[in-house]
Amino acid sequence: MTVDRLIRRMLRAYVVIALGFVFVPIVISFIFSFNSDRFPTLPLGSFSTEWYEAIFSEGQVPVAFRTSLIVGGAVALLSTFIGFAAAYTDFRYRFFGKSVYMSLALLPPTIPVLILGLTMLMFLSRVSLVGEIHSVVIAHVVFCMPFAMALIRLRLSQMDPDLERAAWNLGASSWRAMLGVIVPFALPAILSALFLTAAVSFDEFMIAFFVGGVNETVPVRVLNMMQGQVSPRINAVGSLVFAISMTLVIVAQFLLMMRRPGRPMLRRT
Amino acid sequence: MIRRQARRFQGAPQDSAASSTASHRQGRAPLKPDGYALFWGSPLALWQGLFFLAPLAFLVLMSFWSVKNFRLEPDLTGANWVGMWRKGYVVDTYVRTLGYGALAAVVSSLIAFPASYALAFKTSAATRRLGIFLLITPFFTSYTVRIYSWQGVLSDDGILNALFGYVGIGPVAMLNTLFGTVIGYLTLCLPLVILLQLFSLSNVDRSLIEAAHNLGCGRIRTVILVIIPSAKVGLILAATFAFILSFGDFVSPVSLGGSKPPTLSILIVDTVKQGNHWPRAAVIAVTMVVTLIVVAFTALYFAYAHRRARS
Amino acid sequence: MAEPLLVLDKVAKHYGEITAVHGIDLEIARGEFVAIMGPSGCGKTTTLRMIAGLEAPSEGEIRLNGERVNERKPWQRDTPMVWQSLALFPYMSVLRNVEFGLKMRNQSAKTRREKAMGWLERMGLAAHAGRNITQLSGGERQRVAIARALVTEPEILLLDEPLSALDAHLRIRMQSEITQLQRQLGITFAYVTHNQSEAFAMASRVAIMNGGRIQQVGSPREVYRTPANRFVAEFIGANNIVDGTLRGNDGEAILIETGLGQLRAPAPIGRSYSPGDKIALVISADRVAIGAAPKGGAINHLEASLISEEFIGSVVTLHLDIGGERVFRVQKQAHELDATAFTPGQKISAFWRAEDMFVLPAD
Repeated sequence: MTVDRLIRRMLRAYVVIALGFVFVPIVISFIFSFNSDRFPTLPLGSFSTEWYEAIFSEGQVPVAFRTSLIVGGAVALLSTFIGFAAAYTDFRYRFFGKSVYMSLALLPPTIPVLILGLTMLMFLSRVSLVGEIHSVVIAHVVFCMPFAMALIRLRLSQMDPDLERAAWNLGASSWRAMLGVIVPFALPAILSALFLTAAVSFDEFMIAFFVGGVNETVPVRVLNMMQGQVSPRINAVGSLVFAISMTLVIVAQFLLMMRRPGRPMLRRT
Repeated sequence: MIRRQARRFQGAPQDSAASSTASHRQGRAPLKPDGYALFWGSPLALWQGLFFLAPLAFLVLMSFWSVKNFRLEPDLTGANWVGMWRKGYVVDTYVRTLGYGALAAVVSSLIAFPASYALAFKTSAATRRLGIFLLITPFFTSYTVRIYSWQGVLSDDGILNALFGYVGIGPVAMLNTLFGTVIGYLTLCLPLVILLQLFSLSNVDRSLIEAAHNLGCGRIRTVILVIIPSAKVGLILAATFAFILSFGDFVSPVSLGGSKPPTLSILIVDTVKQGNHWPRAAVIAVTMVVTLIVVAFTALYFAYAHRRARS
Repeated sequence: MAEPLLVLDKVAKHYGEITAVHGIDLEIARGEFVAIMGPSGCGKTTTLRMIAGLEAPSEGEIRLNGERVNERKPWQRDTPMVWQSLALFPYMSVLRNVEFGLKMRNQSAKTRREKAMGWLERMGLAAHAGRNITQLSGGERQRVAIARALVTEPEILLLDEPLSALDAHLRIRMQSEITQLQRQLGITFAYVTHNQSEAFAMASRVAIMNGGRIQQVGSPREVYRTPANRFVAEFIGANNIVDGTLRGNDGEAILIETGLGQLRAPAPIGRSYSPGDKIALVISADRVAIGAAPKGGAINHLEASLISEEFIGSVVTLHLDIGGERVFRVQKQAHELDATAFTPGQKISAFWRAEDMFVLPAD
């Protein structure tokens, strides 16, 4: 019996250590973003918010945040729309070549981002779409849309397919059934997808690095800062990014849990 | 190509009762090209066709173009392919990157296993949920910032060496070594590997474990003879993802590994930055994609091999 | 008298506030076929799991061959089990599954193969040795599970409702196969089931559990004829239980006032009753005659109207209405009633001998 308990304790300690490894860089970044010393080492200096002030006072970081915001917003809207369309098509129809069609949505995550970035760079520069904010938007939609599709498809699988048919049966056209039945039901997933794709786009740096040119999103700015010398501003940026991403994800989770499949929809048309 | 796909759709939402009931069991209707179906069916095909398939096709094409007088010219030459693969350092880099990917896969799987085992079998449901939540969090932090943090921690003047200094060791060189690169890979893959392993371990039939104990199988033997074979698919999947992520990663080898010796990802970036030799970069990229597809299929083959009877 | 193989001494199991097993005592002798039966949740499976070491008793001692085994881990005990879900290893062939226990004892590959093949031949499965277990039928998989457990030649085999997943036809066949196997091998079998006919068909002794306690232990016949308490009487067979008050006692027979009228029953030996005592009587449905009274002795008599006839194979059960929504059951062999046609509502005369009644011990 005691051998069992010992094994259990050791394994649990191991989990804590493993989680510790995963969180060490995050925690350190956070701590040192408030450290007055330039270089992250022990012993600690004094508490200071100068790095946060620095990144907001100099030009590039706020611009990067603005860029990230625009890109994130556009990517969220586009990927969620396309993801919804793909999920609905999968839910509703079957047709010849469907698996090829669906693979268009499922393949992008399997390609390394480096190669996606490079490929997009080559292609977009040929069609003169590169180096602008919309370049990043286009590339990110390709990358983020599968997440939106997966989320919405999951939600749709919880719906009784007869609900849509019932609407037709009672006189609704396909469009009205879509607006009155499908969209309300899928709404939590749609909203979650908006926030999730925004979060994914916000964090994605490799593709943005290749196609954005001088337009930097926040993580690209960090990457460029890292190419220079040691800068504790990176910690400040990183902690902000973490806070923003976590907020987006938590909101997405919250929205998804808000409405459960069985609840009646109290909508007036 | 997209038009052809549109024409393949058959069926309509305003079906007669007969065909509705026919497809009732699947809940799906065959489509006819009406505006509604096309509206919802085309965004995916259009967008991905234009901005995903076309670029990929173009990448393959690009590997056959040539650069004359620093200018990119459409061509159909195999010179890039032959040229790149003749270069010793390219082949070396390819083999090295394969090795790194395999190393990352093995190391992360081994390090993850006791943790995923503990979460699957030795914790309460609530603790498990907490563990899963904590493991999902890193996906939404910036990978680059985490690597930057490790730079600080592993540096010769960094935190770890400061701690070593207190006990009289060091300084130990951890940056610009393979060790640093592996730490970076782990930062990239470990959460995902633990989660995938955890998922498949949780689905192992508990009565099989009890039956093994009942027939005289001790703790560790049961893990090796019963638990791992039962969870084989998930374990292989986790290792494969670790390989795919590490094989293509750029940030870890550069920031923590010192860029030398280079990996394929570093090679691509260098080829593009200096000299803008797109066709050569395309050769490397296509090679990487093909390698990954081969690895993925091989892994799937081994994962589902249990269907064949063994004697 | 040989020492019993397995002894459960005041064994109890608590899960926090809930007690699954309340301090039970049970002895199983070498070579016995004991069935532990009861309704779902009675604690029978928990008891079996404690014997196998998969659960640890909260109180009491489990002794195997006189030695305390409470602290021994499952793999340190020699108590192989045949599982309800069979728990065959899906990624191993039939042969590998059967060899498993021998492999755990580090026997050589040659020995393992020989012994395992021997058992497979005995079970008629030699041709399937190399196949994956998913390719076998339900009955074949059942036999593999049994072979796997017996290959190490244990002293005791535990069976946890092994036949519950099989269809009725296969079940009956497997029951007789298992019974024959036990007789041939002389190994002790401890068999858990909720199916009364299964337990009675196979076991030499049955232990009936309810609510975590053993209600009665005895041979199937004993338990059937002389149930120890109301629960057993209701759980086993088709019994009619009648409650009444003692009116008279003339030493040989007692008179009880019941809802069916005044009934005579044999005076229970070793107990004294006084008028006014509450008595519960058991009348087995198959001891009741209809139409004409049986000869000899004191006869009890009942007039009731027929509610329904129930055919189960060769047995017919008549349900008689005795008022207050209660039913009096009469069981007869189908051939005895071949010449009779019944209609619902028909008045039936039922008779039974006083000595065929059984007085339940006071609860």
